[in-house]
Amino acid sequence: MNYTFTLRTVFPYLGGLVAAAEMTLTLSVLAILISLVIGAAVAVMRRSRLRVVRFAGAAYVEVMRNTPLLVTLYIVYFAAPAIGIRLSSFTAALLGLSLNAAGYMAEIIRAGLIAVPGGQFEAATAQGMTMGQMFRHIIFPQVFRTIYAPLGNQFIAVILASSLASAVAVEEVTSWMETVGANSFRFFETFVVAAVVYVVLCQTINLARLQIGRMLFRQPEARR
Amino acid sequence: MTGSLVFLPLFIKATGTTIWLSWLALLIGAVGGFLIALLRTSRLWPLRVIALLYTEAFRSVPILIVLFFAYFGVPVMLGFDVSPFVAATFALALHASANMSEVVRAGIESVGRGQWEAALASGMRMREVMRHIVAPQALRVILPPSVGVYITVLKESSLASIIGYFELTRTGLLVRETQGGGFGPLLALAAIYFLLSYGISLCGAALERHYAIGGATTSTDAVVGGMA
Repeated sequence: MNYTFTLRTVFPYLGGLVAAAEMTLTLSVLAILISLVIGAAVAVMRRSRLRVVRFAGAAYVEVMRNTPLLVTLYIVYFAAPAIGIRLSSFTAALLGLSLNAAGYMAEIIRAGLIAVPGGQFEAATAQGMTMGQMFRHIIFPQVFRTIYAPLGNQFIAVILASSLASAVAVEEVTSWMETVGANSFRFFETFVVAAVVYVVLCQTINLARLQIGRMLFRQPEARR
Repeated sequence: MTGSLVFLPLFIKATGTTIWLSWLALLIGAVGGFLIALLRTSRLWPLRVIALLYTEAFRSVPILIVLFFAYFGVPVMLGFDVSPFVAATFALALHASANMSEVVRAGIESVGRGQWEAALASGMRMREVMRHIVAPQALRVILPPSVGVYITVLKESSLASIIGYFELTRTGLLVRETQGGGFGPLLALAAIYFLLSYGISLCGAALERHYAIGGATTSTDAVVGGMA
């Protein structure tokens, strides 16, 4: 074994790393936002009075949670052109990631909705609140409190999952590591650097979540 | 899809490969996870810190970069070839061990302090307490969520296709290429993974009901290992 660890070899590629980290972050943040919207819709569907709608919601969740993200990404990336839609790598990755994450998000939001006692809905309606007022002032604050911690975990899960976007040619941190490693043959250094980027991103979110949680709810919450 | 029944044996074989790869990784991961959990609940704080760093590191780093490193990096560094199978098993097992250690730790910690004290007070050695008192009680807490860990490994095993290992996903992509593109093979892939994973999760739910203590439910829904 005559491999010496020299971080200096990676220096010329650091500019690309910054862009790659930005890509990872953009992809993750957008995916979280989109999956939040889809997930909320699916969670509400699962509470519908119509059986068909409930079933559709449950089916969506189970399909997304029981198929690999990579397969979802390939379906979106390769199959969309077959029905006449051309998606860029970024759009395809974002769409695949969001659709998959929405399956998990729906469950998180559903748990949050279940945690709100039924009397709260009845009381709010009895007070003469409109649907919008009820959700905004009564339901949302309680749901938010329940889903806050799992939401943070989900954010971390999405950042890690965004590494799969490299499989559909999005230039984020994992594909940076792959290309730079292959070009420079400094696999160990690029691996360490990429790992550090992910650890820093994840732990920053984790710490920020704890801090903001303390401010919002005045009680410390442990990670999981 | 009608003409593609020729590919059925190929898909069946590939499904076998995927199951074999994920089971092997789960087994190694379970052994590793058990050891890490023992460290994590040790009385010596340096051991606890090492175990904590291990789990946190593997839960903050995507498995794909571990896979790339194992496959491309290790041969360059250590000078021996690593087959895609070995690299994939290694990376999957590392990740599974970090997830498993959390599950095992929760199991060990679920056994009340009084049990330890009573057992030690009746003259049992640490090992005996572990084997006869803690393990039987911890196991029923550990089993249901480990099904969740397995499902994560099963889905993560699809990543082995990226480094060229011929498991289910790779086979599906290959079939798609020979057919000149199209939806079919990819949808077939999704369907096979779904049947495997959903079937196992139903078994897991049954296991959970069977082992539920006094109607208390422990949720397997707590994401063990995140999305894959």
